[in-house]
Amino acid sequence: MSLSQRQLALLLIAPGLALVAALFLYPLFFSLVSAFTGPDGGFSLQSFGKAWELYSGDVVFTVVIVLASCFFTGLAAIVIAGTLTLGENRWIVGTLKALYRWPLFIPFIVAAQCMRTFLAKNGLMNNSFVSLGLIEPLQAVSFLDWRGIIATFVWKQTPFVALLLAGALAAIDRATLEAGRNLGASRIRVLIELALPQVMPTLLVALVLSFVTMLSVLSVPMMVAGSQPTMLTVDMAFRINAYGDYATANALGVITYLISAGAAIIYLRRGMAQEGAR
Amino acid sequence: MRILTLACSLAALIAASPLSAQTLNVASAGDQNMVDYVKDYLAPMFEKAHPGVKVVSVGTGPGDSGSQKIYEKLDAQKGANATDFDVVVIHQKAAGQMVKEGLLNKYTGNVDTAKLVSSETAKNSLGADVAGYVIPMFQSQTALAYNADMLKNPPNNFAELAEWVKKNPKQFGYNGIKGGMSGVAFVAGWVYAFGGDADKLIQGPYDAAEKAKWDKAFAALKDFNRNVVITPGNAGTLDMLNRGEIAMGPVWVDMFYSWQADGKLPPNMKLKLAAPGMPGQPMYYAVPEKSAQKKLAEEFIALATSPQVQADGIVKKFNWYPGIDAKNLEGKLDKAAWDKLFTDITPADLSKNAKPFPIAPYFNDILEGYEKKVAN
Amino acid sequence: MNGRAVMRLAAAARATLAAFLLAAFAFVLIGPLANLALWSVAERWYTPYKLPVSYGTRYWEQVFRPTGDAMASLGTSVWIAVLTVIVALALSIPAGYALARLKLPVRAFFMILFLLPQAFPSVAIYINVARIFYQLGINGTVFAVVLVHAAHGLVYSVWIAAAAFGAVDRDLELAARNIGASPLKTFFSVTLPLAAPGIIASGIFVFLESLDEFTGTFFVGVPQVTTLPLLLYNAAMGGNYQVASITALILLVPSVLFMLFIERFLRADVLAKVGA
Repeated sequence: MSLSQRQLALLLIAPGLALVAALFLYPLFFSLVSAFTGPDGGFSLQSFGKAWELYSGDVVFTVVIVLASCFFTGLAAIVIAGTLTLGENRWIVGTLKALYRWPLFIPFIVAAQCMRTFLAKNGLMNNSFVSLGLIEPLQAVSFLDWRGIIATFVWKQTPFVALLLAGALAAIDRATLEAGRNLGASRIRVLIELALPQVMPTLLVALVLSFVTMLSVLSVPMMVAGSQPTMLTVDMAFRINAYGDYATANALGVITYLISAGAAIIYLRRGMAQEGAR
Repeated sequence: MRILTLACSLAALIAASPLSAQTLNVASAGDQNMVDYVKDYLAPMFEKAHPGVKVVSVGTGPGDSGSQKIYEKLDAQKGANATDFDVVVIHQKAAGQMVKEGLLNKYTGNVDTAKLVSSETAKNSLGADVAGYVIPMFQSQTALAYNADMLKNPPNNFAELAEWVKKNPKQFGYNGIKGGMSGVAFVAGWVYAFGGDADKLIQGPYDAAEKAKWDKAFAALKDFNRNVVITPGNAGTLDMLNRGEIAMGPVWVDMFYSWQADGKLPPNMKLKLAAPGMPGQPMYYAVPEKSAQKKLAEEFIALATSPQVQADGIVKKFNWYPGIDAKNLEGKLDKAAWDKLFTDITPADLSKNAKPFPIAPYFNDILEGYEKKVAN
Repeated sequence: MNGRAVMRLAAAARATLAAFLLAAFAFVLIGPLANLALWSVAERWYTPYKLPVSYGTRYWEQVFRPTGDAMASLGTSVWIAVLTVIVALALSIPAGYALARLKLPVRAFFMILFLLPQAFPSVAIYINVARIFYQLGINGTVFAVVLVHAAHGLVYSVWIAAAAFGAVDRDLELAARNIGASPLKTFFSVTLPLAAPGIIASGIFVFLESLDEFTGTFFVGVPQVTTLPLLLYNAAMGGNYQVASITALILLVPSVLFMLFIERFLRADVLAKVGA
């Protein structure tokens, strides 16, 4: 029985795997070969040396940006999804529900396009603040640097995470939440102590997906912030466009991939621990 | 009888269909306005003269990355019978590489308008011999754009610029080297100004020891960068000029004019080509070696480089400097349109301070030197 | 009396605070989009003006001019996105079920495999894909573009489908089996409907991912297949704000329609689930 179930499982997963293998693993193989090949054609780690020498700062920058974006995205998504599930004011919940999804529809490149005129020193945001009398014109600062990248990522990814989280929260047993409320716990406590632990896996999936997506976006760091320092995707594009240097670009790709594999493994570990407990 | 008519019309249909299905694929590495130039201006003209031909215009993105995509696509098609593109519009760096790798066709001998071009750039592309493979579509130039309201006397040379930046911190912006060619051009101009012999970098031959002389220039540039704004891209520099966040920055002259025409720059913005000069470069028309429509492609390029089209399309519509020699445009253009090209930057400025980019190996050394010594 | 007044005051203060937070949230969300809309009708806008100097529809006319192909590209984009969703779901429903419900060796390894295409920056990959497709002779077809988009979006559909199947109550399946339903019937009449909301949500992401995709389309589709993001990419990268904004707004239309349609579907299903 167990054996046949195993075969069935492999059978079911095979078509999807075949597509990934044909359109990703096979082409990836060429990239790996190029990353590990020296100028003389033999095996070498030279490209990685070069990538590290020139872009070590950008590796750190990228990791920090993406982690910070994930953190704020998670936070914002919890607030939104929590309000949607536990909010008692119908009007607020309704407005929030109608509003929060909009950036979800927006491609990254459009988000970048919006943000680079919105967050600028004399952009629409600062201009609105000045007109409202919130700040003095001289206090206006440009956010078109690492803050701009994080803001754009959070703006774009929060709806995605919030949507999944709100779905998961809607699906958990209302009775325990009601019980918590009846015992006098505040809504925030109910959210943090009762609701969130139940939907942690969903939050993790959403954040891991956001993490890898942000890692591979080119348009946002390219259009929102200046290039010093910058994210690895920009460096990769620059390596290829300016020097035709695929080896170093691919080495940077491998580094990016290792970073995202790290995130994926954290998630999967958790998933397996749960399975073991089951 | 009926069957015969049917057969006849069918035969006619079959005979006619390949003719009407003839497409000429034109790929442009450049801004949307270049793609639209082919789509809206050249294509209808060409289709009218060649009934049954359809011109398809696609863009591959601005800057060298656009050319790189065309290169990659042609390279991926090495094994195929015919390439997807019949005419490509590419930058200098990609042109040299494509010629070297045999991806382009030596076609200019078949096109009469090639004789109207005498400039060096039609033969030499950053040190690579491209004679016979390319005809310039237009020539463009980088220069410093500045807000004449905020700045009455723009700096005449790079040393004055450095002084000015020191006195006016965060009023000058450029896009580094990863965000587009206007920043790269500025860095090249900096090395021309402070790194020794500009002519040697432009003409070659390559000497690997040369780059050791740039250390001081790079150190000065690193210092200079402390007081400037690093903008996001070619468009980013113009964008900050638009909102008055910086008062000066390096831009492409053609982009500058089209932004101004689109109402995205204050009318009082002006251009200045500071000594010893900044680089410019042409865009090239080329034909892929494996194009299935070589004849049509040549006719298309002949039309695009004819004096009338260069006058009306390139100069008048876009404020680009013509690809063919200027003397061929005489009489095709009213004086006002011609003079507009040279309002801020006079022909004398151009002949003195408009420089090509350095030859490819120096070019790469400058970029990598910047990455190592300035950005890091 | 006094206590009630204080409470009423506190309620009013809370409502004001909530309204203020909501307004700030709306500003953050809508601000950038309003910016986009403003740019689409701005004919002239530069310093020191805080709002466009003059408005007009010149650029709308330019995008919708007779020789322009914005609408045709939009059609292609949507068609490709729909096909991509179908392909991705066809592959991910069985895969998700296997990952969630069946004993699978090295499950973690398989999960990571699906994540790969999303994680590795794509340009280098697509060049090689284009090479393979040229050899097969399918480059430049909608089919090829759909395959590439599906491989890219598969992580969303597989992971979310797996989560959706994992969330389905096993007792309900067992109950169905106990009253004599075959495994297949149980799957189609119990498991799949219960997992449907999650699976549909995964479809939304595949759809959006496909609508957003540029690099892969360029390498395996152009020039025979051109999509709207291609136009958007050129305009946005080149700083052609008006055209980029208009293209972006056009691109929003199918996404919003898709979402509204899906939303009704989603809600009904979630409600059904709560009731069951």
